[in-house]
Amino acid sequence: MSRPIAWMLAAAGIALASSAPAGGAARRQGPVIRPATPRQILAAVRAPGARAVVLNVWATWCVPCREEFPDVMRIVSAYRGRGLRPVLVSADFDDQVPAARRFLREHGVDFPSYLKSGDDMEFINALSPRWSGALPATFVYDAGGRLEYFHEGRVPPLELERAVRRALASTAGRK
Amino acid sequence: MQLRALDRWVFGFWTALAVMGGVPARAQEAPPGLALGDPAPMTDVKMKNVDGREVSIADVQGTKGTLVIFSCNACPWAKAWEKRIVALGNSWQKKGVGVVVVNSNDPGRVAEDDYATMQKHAKERGMSYPYVVDATSDVARAFGAAHTPEAFLFGADGKLAYHGTIDDNAKEPGKVKTRYLEDALKAVAAGREVAVKETKALGCGIKFRPKA
Repeated sequence: MSRPIAWMLAAAGIALASSAPAGGAARRQGPVIRPATPRQILAAVRAPGARAVVLNVWATWCVPCREEFPDVMRIVSAYRGRGLRPVLVSADFDDQVPAARRFLREHGVDFPSYLKSGDDMEFINALSPRWSGALPATFVYDAGGRLEYFHEGRVPPLELERAVRRALASTAGRK
Repeated sequence: MQLRALDRWVFGFWTALAVMGGVPARAQEAPPGLALGDPAPMTDVKMKNVDGREVSIADVQGTKGTLVIFSCNACPWAKAWEKRIVALGNSWQKKGVGVVVVNSNDPGRVAEDDYATMQKHAKERGMSYPYVVDATSDVARAFGAAHTPEAFLFGADGKLAYHGTIDDNAKEPGKVKTRYLEDALKAVAAGREVAVKETKALGCGIKFRPKA
């Protein structure tokens, strides 16, 4: 099997798992956080099955990340049933993963998410060359994986919601 | 410079439309900062150093170049790189490169980024260069600095020669492969062109004070 296809299948598996209810262990420890390269993260964004994708890069120690998280999750909850796929990427260091899982659990995250691995610059430029690397960063993609919206810093919730609606609408318009 | 002016105009145009809600906001970002070759802005603004004196970027200007790093006390990335920043700052200051580290964070957002903790860090780490407070965050805005730590290195001609991160591994100093800032310092001090002029790393967004 070629590596790109393998990545796509793995990403599709994660995407499917994201819609499944969390198990008992996950509820206790928090959702799974998988180390992922930029390529794997973009494969998760582009995996078939979503009508739009919201990708949020965050970290437990990042104040604006924590501040915006409830807004991001509210929008995820509101639009997930309409085909919005959430992709959360933690930029925490490895030893902060338990704290990251606790944070996700406390905020009701019931889907697997990612831990950024590999070189920072490659990761930043893979998501957007316009991104400086400051956290948090939020990206909205349409069903074709086209970047519809990007915001660096605490995301204005109304702006994010409009971007999600726009991405969902653009997908509907192509059907 | 004409292109940069256009960038700013385009950014302002789309931001205004987005605020008005008339046109979808797409792929927004922070306003563009300094471009390579630009001079340092706000060089005469006095900022309070950890020793109580007021210091400007012009005051620290070196004969071989000037290094301005936006950093802080609390950010894990700033902490991870702190020893390396101090080593570079102390070393290159003696070699004719002016060095200043600027804290633009609002301590009202992160208490650990206050002046007293800056003084403590400077003493404990043995900083021999100024560590100053950007009391309005306007210096960071003028540079287009977005996160900590973020380095701007100007050559002896006053033009921006390098912008970016310290090296390629914040967490594990022993696994660093490329020392971007040190390489740039060597080039600038020798009057050579910097090979890698722009780099990026993840970091904590600057907690800007509200605009006056």
